Amino acid sequence: MSSNFLEIQNVTFTASKVNKVNNVSFKIEKEGEIVCLLGPSGIGKTTILRTIAGLQTVQSGKITLKGKTISSSDFNLEPEKRNIALSFQDNSLFPHYNVVDNINFGSKRNKNSKFKYTSADLIKTLHLEDLTEKFPHQISAGEAQRVSLARSLMSKPDLLLLDEPFSNIDQSLKDELQLNIKKVLKEMNITTIVVTHDSYEAFYLADKCGIILDQSLKQYDTPYKIYHYPNSIEVVNFLNRGILLDAKVISEDSLEQLELGIIKGKFIRKFPKGTSVKLLIQPEDLEHDDKSKLKLKIVDRKFRGTNFIYTLQTKNKDLIPVFVHSHHIHQHEVEEEFGIKTPIFIDHLVCF
Amino acid sequence: MFNKLNIWYCSSLLVSLIVAIPILTVFTSFFDTTSDYLILLKNTFLLQYIFNTIFLLIGVLTLTFVFGVGAAYFVSFFSFPGVSFFKWALILSFAVPAYIYAYSLTAFFENYGTAFTILTNLFGEYEYNKYIPKFDGSFGSIISMSFSFFGYVYVLTRASFYYQSQNLIEVGKNLGFSSKESFLKIIMPSARPAIVAGLSLVAMECLSDFGTVSFFSISTLTTGIYNSWISFDDLNTANQLSFVLLAFILILFLVENYSRKGAKYHQPTKGFKPIPKIELTGTKSLFAVLFCSALFFFSFIFPVSQMIYWTVKFPKYFQDINLLSLNMNTLLLVFLSSIFLVIFSFLTNYGNRVSKSKFLNYLSTFSISGYAIPGVILAVALITFFSWLSDISSSIFGSSSFKSIFIGSIFGLVLAYFIRFFSLSFNGIKSGYLKINQSMDESAYLLGYTKFKTFTKIHIPYLKNSIFLIGVLISIEIIRELPITLILRPFNFETFATKAYAYASQDLLEAAALPSLFLIFWAALFILLTSKYILSDK
Repeated sequence: MSSNFLEIQNVTFTASKVNKVNNVSFKIEKEGEIVCLLGPSGIGKTTILRTIAGLQTVQSGKITLKGKTISSSDFNLEPEKRNIALSFQDNSLFPHYNVVDNINFGSKRNKNSKFKYTSADLIKTLHLEDLTEKFPHQISAGEAQRVSLARSLMSKPDLLLLDEPFSNIDQSLKDELQLNIKKVLKEMNITTIVVTHDSYEAFYLADKCGIILDQSLKQYDTPYKIYHYPNSIEVVNFLNRGILLDAKVISEDSLEQLELGIIKGKFIRKFPKGTSVKLLIQPEDLEHDDKSKLKLKIVDRKFRGTNFIYTLQTKNKDLIPVFVHSHHIHQHEVEEEFGIKTPIFIDHLVCF
Repeated sequence: MFNKLNIWYCSSLLVSLIVAIPILTVFTSFFDTTSDYLILLKNTFLLQYIFNTIFLLIGVLTLTFVFGVGAAYFVSFFSFPGVSFFKWALILSFAVPAYIYAYSLTAFFENYGTAFTILTNLFGEYEYNKYIPKFDGSFGSIISMSFSFFGYVYVLTRASFYYQSQNLIEVGKNLGFSSKESFLKIIMPSARPAIVAGLSLVAMECLSDFGTVSFFSISTLTTGIYNSWISFDDLNTANQLSFVLLAFILILFLVENYSRKGAKYHQPTKGFKPIPKIELTGTKSLFAVLFCSALFFFSFIFPVSQMIYWTVKFPKYFQDINLLSLNMNTLLLVFLSSIFLVIFSFLTNYGNRVSKSKFLNYLSTFSISGYAIPGVILAVALITFFSWLSDISSSIFGSSSFKSIFIGSIFGLVLAYFIRFFSLSFNGIKSGYLKINQSMDESAYLLGYTKFKTFTKIHIPYLKNSIFLIGVLISIEIIRELPITLILRPFNFETFATKAYAYASQDLLEAAALPSLFLIFWAALFILLTSKYILSDK
């Protein structure tokens, strides 16, 4: 018997004849872990959640929860018997019940369990105090999303599935809610799978992330490793946090790039000397130095509050993003030259 | 296949089979032998039946278009004294069936009728009969039906006008359209599907009408069917005439369906902004008030006043007519039919929802076609079918009592109402269900609720308004219904409609007033109860 909390083994998730995610395998080892599935819209992420919830059947492979098979090609445990809660993207609140009744609707399952949260606690945590007597049509989409989440939490599920839980919530409230929800999920030790297309959200919430691209699960790892050690060009392109530049491996710990010169660092994968590779340069890899002789032209500057992102253009027309602290002594304008500190050292060299 | 034979399949199949009875009976009878009456009819009156039917249809459609679209136009776009009152008062015309309107019209304008009495009281005795216009025959029928049916066009067109977004008008203005051009080029084309849908309903009611044409002795296909059965005892001829009438209806059904498909493109979007009403002043305001007042007066106040006048003038009919029995009979039919209709509508709708089966969906679509079958055809076809079934049963089992279970019984009557009004009930529940997103059911399952618990905790509480609305709409239809009740009712079983018809056909219009008044009273009460939904702009 498997000792993993949840295990997906070679399952093909089918949304339609053309839209499917093939041969997916991943596991959640410990109860209380949070997993985020990241991918572009329409890739089949919601189908994965619906299948785990039992609302859709599997054609091949097997899903086990706490060691028991809940879905396989010849068996599908009914959704109401799984103790898995799904908070839908459209919220699916019951229109004829007010907010507090909607939340209490979820308490049917937890009557016998040692559940320390009351609906009042969840209402407070999710900032729903002013809405309790209101009906779903009287609240905003973001508020409805929070109510839906509270209702799912009230059922104290073995596994909580959240479909784009923060998609309709204002940025100002999002950060605080993410903090609160993560705290609640960890305190309640509720194992959760979150589907999202926002990598910031996923990296904050998740213990592990799965990247779904081109009908398959491309990478399943911790957020840190996903970001710093992407395993394919597709993952790099999806995360969109850097650029791939042509370079040549010149030794065990360095390579040469036409414009940037010698770059030193530790290769995460070994390449023979002389190999032409694509080197990933992320915004934090290069450092600004006004005195440096290595200069590139600024073609764009974005102010992001805590930092600037300068976009620098090489002679090859490649565009390299570079972070600079926003308290930097002076700002550079577009069309000006931007100095890059040399020699360049990147902690881990990601090449393909 | 057999593992699919659950309660949903069985109920959907049962409803479809019941609805199929009259349709199949009419179509199979087309190849049966008939008496000489059909040949006689073909050589003599058949063309006239068809001509009269078409003539009535054109007249009624023209007038209902003018009344319905005109009233909807004034009430939707303009503000004038009494507009809020007219908005709901105009739907009271639904409470007056065309045949009762016909009684009032005749009573008022006939020789020595109410008009004559009024003129004599006002100006003294004189030969007024020569100058009082006579509304009888085709003209009387067209007037009666138009005032009774224009509500269909009014309600649907008004809802469509309401959903014209101000944004569209503003775009029109931006493109240089005047107000008149905006109305003709933007508003009217958008409302066209609703107007066509309303006119199609009017046309179906007009083709199905029996009470009015029978009272005015107009030979139409409906009266032809009734006469073939009652006067010549020739069910096959009746069914063959029904076939012709059903062909008419099928064309209308297709037109209506086609226009409804277009209507989905006219639903409001997120950017919907209602059109602000234009304040009318002077003669324009006076014209709007006069138009709506005249329509309200002639469609409701006039027939009701006539009936009240006669009821007061001839109080002896209070003793002659057993009002308690009429009330109880009507209530019994309403109660039994509503129960069956609501239960089966729930079963078929819920079956469609949980099974997502295409086959069940097809069955449901077929089952709602019963509303297109005119009452006369339905009744005659049921008699034909159960007579045939009874003959088979007596030849096999030697018993012929089978027929009496369905013909001339409450059960047969409820069965016929069921076929006729199933679409009303089914569509009512369906439109309620469409508002419950499928993911709501799934949320409930995932919170540990079974399908049955989801049904009782989510669906029933949410749909209770729909159930109430359906119950009331069925009640209105059954109270007004005449031909089915007349043909299939048990011996000596009377409703307000049959009692009024019985007196009117004996030329005792003054006696018909009391049951007619009660009929209008009940129907108006139910209409007022549901006016919020009828005028809900959806």
